[in-house]
Amino acid sequence: MFSQLLINGIIAGAIYALIASGFSLIYSTNRFVHFAHGTVSIFGGYLLYWFYSLLGLDFWLAALFSVASTALIGYLLNKIVYSSLRKRKSSPSILLIASVGIMILIEALMLFLFGADVKTIGLIPVSKGLMLFGAFITPLQVAIVATSAILFIALYLLMNKTKVGKAMRAVSDNKDVAEIVGISAEKIYSWSFIFGSAIAGVAGILISLEQNLEPTMGTALMVKGFAGAIIGGVGSVPGAIVGSLFLGLAENFGIWYLPSGYKDAIAFLVLFIFLLFKPNGIFNSGKRVNG
Amino acid sequence: MISGYFVHLLIIISIYLILALSLQLSVGFTGLLNLGHIAFYAIGAYASALLAKAGMPFWLCILAAGLLPMVFAYVLSLATSKLKGDYFALATLGFSFVIYSLALNWTNVTNGPLGLPQIPKPQILGIDFSSNINFLFLAITLAIVTYLVINMITISPFGKTLEAIRDDELAAKTLGKNTSMSKSVSLVISSFFAGVAGSLFAYYLTYIDPSSFAFGNLIPIVVITVVGGLASLPGTIFATIIIVLLPEPLRFLGLPSSLIGPGRQALYAIFLLLILLFKPKGFYGKVDLE
Repeated sequence: MFSQLLINGIIAGAIYALIASGFSLIYSTNRFVHFAHGTVSIFGGYLLYWFYSLLGLDFWLAALFSVASTALIGYLLNKIVYSSLRKRKSSPSILLIASVGIMILIEALMLFLFGADVKTIGLIPVSKGLMLFGAFITPLQVAIVATSAILFIALYLLMNKTKVGKAMRAVSDNKDVAEIVGISAEKIYSWSFIFGSAIAGVAGILISLEQNLEPTMGTALMVKGFAGAIIGGVGSVPGAIVGSLFLGLAENFGIWYLPSGYKDAIAFLVLFIFLLFKPNGIFNSGKRVNG
Repeated sequence: MISGYFVHLLIIISIYLILALSLQLSVGFTGLLNLGHIAFYAIGAYASALLAKAGMPFWLCILAAGLLPMVFAYVLSLATSKLKGDYFALATLGFSFVIYSLALNWTNVTNGPLGLPQIPKPQILGIDFSSNINFLFLAITLAIVTYLVINMITISPFGKTLEAIRDDELAAKTLGKNTSMSKSVSLVISSFFAGVAGSLFAYYLTYIDPSSFAFGNLIPIVVITVVGGLASLPGTIFATIIIVLLPEPLRFLGLPSSLIGPGRQALYAIFLLLILLFKPKGFYGKVDLE
């Protein structure tokens, strides 16, 4: 039982970590809560369903299209909505409300296009799973953890070795100084949305393979990503990973004591405790946005 | 038939108005981006429904529906007293999710997803409010009382303190105002009215289930506060009427019923974004949200 919960926690944590790191990327550069992040991710899952299950494309091609589409959606959201609001010097709270509007709009769009009933992709037949330290784990779940790990390494390299990544860190540290040395903040905002939403798209694909899809899954997913990012420390990708794993484990061990329906409530409780006692997170990056 | 539909719309407008006016107190006047308002509404609705089903009189049910959320609001305000902006919004959102999952999972009390049916219609001093016309008078009276009370608060010195906190908390503190206490009081008062609205809702539908209290149900209320303009009470009334009536034509378009819900949400979302992009202070607003 213990090792099963441990493995379930790690798998859930790996998916949350993808959401959290994309969210953290957007949040630390743009300094507002992009509420629609989780819904963009779920939309990626639906796009895979559309490309792969309905149109019958090759799986890898369908996955590539889905990730490219979420990246494009992120880019367009920033260009059409957020960028115009920023030009008017709207406060982060207004941007947050706008992002709630976007979230509702995408949710409604998914309901229009795909209906409210749950969707299953059914790429991999439900297999019996491997035994690992006395716990069952399916090959898909191994793939989830492996994909996340590869993406984290790629993200780390992006942030630390490339010009765009370094510029992103510069903008998140101090936007004005970054602009003085010739970095265009608007361009960096765009890149953060492109990369962040692409990662969200990958997360959406993994979720669509592991669970059934529902249009309204995005809100809870986004808040879990936010919680993971806060617990780890905003603006720190390793922090987002550790925080999300912590959250996944807390959720799964929590249902040892409580009925599984309270899973979401446990996540929020953990978020709450951290907001109260350790608002800078485990990896104190000193980057609290908005006080 | 037509007039019955009209009465129904007016009742919904009254309930939304109570919710929106009280949300205006915390969001518009105090600057607390409170996304947990729907949770207070839920607590009020469940408290009122459970008491009414136990045979308690109307005045007790609606009073309890107002008072119980105040306790939660006070605890929530203590827990979030140091949080600002986004963090406050997310923490209160988390609170609303916790309450929602309690409504869904605490089946002994809330009857879970099946909800609470057969809530009796209210009776006050022997007057029966089971007809919609009578209920409308009750709802409108409560909405007017809410308006008067919120208006009185906002023009009082305390209301000015709240606005000072919204505009510059540090300055308000420097002037000797107990800002965290004022924020608490603002949240507690607004939760009272949300609870009252919940009670009216439960009495009106005679049936409640958790789906009415999911986060999405707060969207129209948030849209109202933005469209009407933050910290504007007349704007709130105007926006409430628009927002309730806006999606009504969808009913007559002959859309399949499964698409009406999403259609309404999409309409709200588009309207909200257009207002934010082209009329950022709403129709009557004076302030920007910090």
